[in-house]
Amino acid sequence: MKEVILSGKNIIKTFGENTVLHGIDVEIYEGDFTVIMGSSGSGKSTLLYTLSGMERLSGGRLFYRQRDITNASEKELTRLRAKEFGFVFQRTHLISNLTLYENIRMAGLIGNLSEKETGLRTGNLIGRMNLEGAKDRLPSQVSGGEAQRAAVARAVINKPAILFADEPTGALNKANTEEVLNLLSSLHAESQSVLLVTHDKEAASRGNRILYLEDGVIIGELTLSVYTGKDRSREEKISHWLEGFGW
Amino acid sequence: MGKYRMLLKAAIKKQKGSIIGIFLLVFVLALCLFSAVIVYISGINSVKNEMHRLGFGDFTIWVSGQPENLKTEIENVPDVDYVLSQPLIFADYEINGDYSDNEGQLLVYDGSVPYRFLSADGTEQPEPEIMRGTVYISPALCSGFDVQVGDTIRFELTRSNGIKSFTIAGYFADAFMGSSMIDMKSFLIHIDDWEEMREELSEAADVDVLGRTGAMFHVFRREGSDLTEPEFHRQIYESTDVSLYTEFSYRLDSILNYMLLLQNILSGFLIAFSAVLLLICLIIIGHSLSVVVEQEKRDMAVLKSMGFSGSGIRRFYLILYGGTILLGFLFGLLPAFGIAGLLAKAMVSSTGMLIELSFPADIILPVLSGILFLFAVFLFVRTRKILRISPMQTIRETGGGKKVTSALRKHFLGLDIALREIRSGSSKYIAVCIISAFLSMFLSVIGRMGTWLGANGEGLMNTFSVAGHDLGVQPFNASVPMDEIERIINWYSPIQETYELAMQSVIVNGQEYTANVLNDSKWFHVLSGSVCDGGSILITDTVAGELGLVIGDTVRVTANGRMETYTVSGIYQCANGMGDNIGMSLTGYSKIGDITGYIWCHHYILENGLMREYAMAYLQEHYRGIDVHTNSWSGLDGIVFVMHALIGVIYLVAALFVLVSVALTANKLLQSESGKMAVYKTMGLSSGRLRLSFAFRFFVVVMFGTGSGLCLSAFWADYAIGRIFKMFGIGEFNSGFSVLGTVLPLLAIPLLFFGAALIFSAKLKQINIVNLISENEE
Repeated sequence: MKEVILSGKNIIKTFGENTVLHGIDVEIYEGDFTVIMGSSGSGKSTLLYTLSGMERLSGGRLFYRQRDITNASEKELTRLRAKEFGFVFQRTHLISNLTLYENIRMAGLIGNLSEKETGLRTGNLIGRMNLEGAKDRLPSQVSGGEAQRAAVARAVINKPAILFADEPTGALNKANTEEVLNLLSSLHAESQSVLLVTHDKEAASRGNRILYLEDGVIIGELTLSVYTGKDRSREEKISHWLEGFGW
Repeated sequence: MGKYRMLLKAAIKKQKGSIIGIFLLVFVLALCLFSAVIVYISGINSVKNEMHRLGFGDFTIWVSGQPENLKTEIENVPDVDYVLSQPLIFADYEINGDYSDNEGQLLVYDGSVPYRFLSADGTEQPEPEIMRGTVYISPALCSGFDVQVGDTIRFELTRSNGIKSFTIAGYFADAFMGSSMIDMKSFLIHIDDWEEMREELSEAADVDVLGRTGAMFHVFRREGSDLTEPEFHRQIYESTDVSLYTEFSYRLDSILNYMLLLQNILSGFLIAFSAVLLLICLIIIGHSLSVVVEQEKRDMAVLKSMGFSGSGIRRFYLILYGGTILLGFLFGLLPAFGIAGLLAKAMVSSTGMLIELSFPADIILPVLSGILFLFAVFLFVRTRKILRISPMQTIRETGGGKKVTSALRKHFLGLDIALREIRSGSSKYIAVCIISAFLSMFLSVIGRMGTWLGANGEGLMNTFSVAGHDLGVQPFNASVPMDEIERIINWYSPIQETYELAMQSVIVNGQEYTANVLNDSKWFHVLSGSVCDGGSILITDTVAGELGLVIGDTVRVTANGRMETYTVSGIYQCANGMGDNIGMSLTGYSKIGDITGYIWCHHYILENGLMREYAMAYLQEHYRGIDVHTNSWSGLDGIVFVMHALIGVIYLVAALFVLVSVALTANKLLQSESGKMAVYKTMGLSSGRLRLSFAFRFFVVVMFGTGSGLCLSAFWADYAIGRIFKMFGIGEFNSGFSVLGTVLPLLAIPLLFFGAALIFSAKLKQINIVNLISENEE
């Protein structure tokens, strides 16, 4: 039985008059690569930010490891972001005046790792993300793929309990997309919990659980085996499943 | 036009913080500058007009006795138009137990001279019916003698029961001698009282008499006279017997300078402060405009792609910023009149009369036009960038960063991030750095001025006396144990330096003056030229004007029937007798005067000057045959109070400027870095740490700026203040190191910037990370 790492009960999110999430019940399991799919405007990014505590709920409850964090203080949320949660966005959002190496290292220091441990992990991640040649460059001086790999490294340096990724390949070309997805898959293979928002079928195929969101409601769920490599039958299964939602 | 109106509306809405900030800065600048100009110009006009109205001549001679024919004699001098005579009685006086250092002059009030009557705060009162036994005084006496209506003044006419008491009934504006910078004071009394006193003096035996009768002769020059002022002065003295009766004589300008000394210093400092504020305004507006252009570049590019011209967009910004500046000046100009009124009221106890405020349009309008022109040129130059914005290049442009190498340490992350931001975006902080440098330099100057002034006005006391000292002891006989007295002074506070002063009467080129003789002439406050020696003398500006002398001229000085020729080596500062004095060295005076006897006053400079009052009290109580005094005069307290108040106001205005400067720069920085801040938050940096780091940037930059400002002020402040003070007749300024002048700005300015940045970064706490990240993804 998998342990629930994050759960939302009757999550409602409104922006002014506009209700984006209509009472969603959801559970995210430890070690899973969960994917949220949906058409544009379905509320998938809002669900990710609500689950990660970046957006406050308008209604319902939010639990992290059975602990109610619905009304957690800003301090508590900051601690969670520093140690327990990692974030990757569509745009890399690296700090423009820090090199790739420093961007990664900075996150380790904020996460309260020792200087030595931070240096060690940063070095390992640089190697793993294949960033040796670019590590001393500023974000504006590297390719989109390199920057996004650095962003992933930055997100995982503190070994977060869960990695939130919001369309991380949305702004990348095919080759870079492949590289970043491989990275996420390899992290998942090492038991990293991942929650990915995407509208890309190929990216979704990396997950072992896919939730489909329509108009702020989860209307479908597909469970898959753990991704081990490109598999035609897996992609067909997803396509077939998505067709059911008019995809 | 409609499209520009729409843009203007949107810009005002978006940039209302900047617009309000710039308006506030310009408003304070205008308030400060124009109130100073109004006080300065109104002061000169007001006192001058009042002197003319009350009949002060081109120059006025105070004579003793009642020389019958002197007035006619003077009137017969070819270049004299006419002479007005005002009889008076000279007498020492005592108020509330305090004895005056100088005689008062009692004048008849019978309505023939149109004096203005005042309340203690300077407000004009209706002309009173003067009663016998009552007296009207200058409000300047309030600060010197702590006197008020209903108190009694006792005038000493004769030694035997010759004390005449008067009850103070009110105040009058004395444009001739009302200022606390002038020792002698006028008193208005009933004609019957005056006649009674004159009779008592005329009947008293010579050995008994203390007071004496006299007169003021207001001498008016014939229109078209070709003589210079000194020549005219000399013509009168050489053609008449007036020198036999003269107590002193003053030109209108000399009196005017003394009457307006304090307000000139105050206005001078406010104008200098305004110049600093003007520079700061230009820096802040320039910085603000650069940031706005940078931030709005994309929108501007889009507008250009829609068909707006670069000059059209530039014109729009010129109108927006220029209009704000113009409004700031206009709104600042209106209350400046009120502030000038408050300043004028605060100075009543010093100037002795309330300045009649007028709007000096002939000065203010050109000044305002000049400053507005400066701003217009400045804005025009700073908006040039708008013309160079290329639509597509800008729309495609992605934000880069500047690579810098600096440590990122776990325990100093906030500081390290701050340093990194400063180094990679140094141009953004240049404005803050320059502002802090200017502010610290000026505050250091003000602090030094405060230190020089001292808690009890020691700086002023030292400057206006012959030579600075804390305590003076003059023995009058051989039995005074000076060694013992010095041991006692040393017990109160170690004596740092000592010198001796004698004040002797001499005649310079036929006119009588007091010679201040020092055994060590380095103590004279020399304004220009060099210190005197055995063959030369120092003269004051007053003497130079009266005798028509310049440095290098030769003069004949006579004392005790012996005459010697000396060169004028320099102009020096000494307010004794309103500047009617000269300075001589011991060797110089010994050629003509007797330097033996008990003419020498021993002056002491103490390590702890605050002990002087205690030492004086002890010596006065335990020793006879000596005169002990500190270096003070009656009106000093009022002046010191106003000067300290001004220093306080300048500190407050500076603090306000810091707040507005930080509000403007911090808001712009936060706007441009909102995305970055959001990312830091997603990485787990708390709002509190981010705010601290943000405020650190200001602290670090301002520390650097303040340090530079203080270094500049260390090398330059004393010189600059000295120059300003010399313009207003204060000869010597030397502040040195002080907590107020050095340590306070060094700590206070960075802390103020730090605190203000911390306050204005509070919005970091409320920012929605998702919104900011989404905005940056657009």
